[in-house]
Amino acid sequence: MASSQVVKVLVVDDDVLTRRIYRTLLLRFGFEITEAEDGKSAVNKFIDGNEYDLVLMDKDMPRMDGVEATRALRGMGISAKVVAITGDENSRGAFLDAGADEFLLKPLNITALTDILKAFNFLN
Amino acid sequence: MDVSMLQRTYTDLLTSLFREGILNQQFIELQQLQDENNPGFVNEVVSLFFEDAGRLITELISNFNQQAVDYKKVDAYVHQLKGSSASIGAEKIRSVCQTFREYYDKNDIQGCYNCIQPLKQEFMTFKSKLEALFALEQQIVAAGGSIPMMRH
Repeated sequence: MASSQVVKVLVVDDDVLTRRIYRTLLLRFGFEITEAEDGKSAVNKFIDGNEYDLVLMDKDMPRMDGVEATRALRGMGISAKVVAITGDENSRGAFLDAGADEFLLKPLNITALTDILKAFNFLN
Repeated sequence: MDVSMLQRTYTDLLTSLFREGILNQQFIELQQLQDENNPGFVNEVVSLFFEDAGRLITELISNFNQQAVDYKKVDAYVHQLKGSSASIGAEKIRSVCQTFREYYDKNDIQGCYNCIQPLKQEFMTFKSKLEALFALEQQIVAAGGSIPMMRH
């Protein structure tokens, strides 16, 4: 985990409404949330020295899509858990090949995400 | 109107929105995120959607009125609208967007065009019904009551 006890999450999605929904859910768990509106911004956050325990990654975004961003993060040696959350069910293979740990289909199912967070030991 | 009557009216309206297919289960997922720390969460998220979807539909109609329609741009708008409508459980809007994209994938331009008016209509219906729902919520809270939660 990143240096503090609080789980640090990077939410990567070009849709402000989606980011708002994820933020509300994750704040309930006491997580610390940072947002990025596309893959390139997400990668830059890590390049700038920020550390995150978990990345929620959309797929279709401007400048850099989620698969490319995931591949870039793994190429940089970033070990944060990456959960792809996308409406594109055909992108599961691409995401997992790029190094994502889990794949969820949109719209977000709270129970499905909570189960993944528990499996990652981010929740009791 | 007393609180219990307001609550009944609210429940009836919400039930009808599910029965008519205007809302789906995702709306209940959103309601689960509303609590004392986020009392206006659903209203806030749906209001964001009204703004966003309204803008996208205006852009769509404007694009279709051009002499040379940029269908790639139009499809991108519909993709965005499909995603945001799915996020909040706006089922009929999501469904029309899905139909549009199926026509787009088949290069059926007439089919795409035929989706625009239904999309606008579904959005206006959705907006009007959800605004009525939120107005009832405000009345319930003002009368000292709590918002009935939907179990689905």
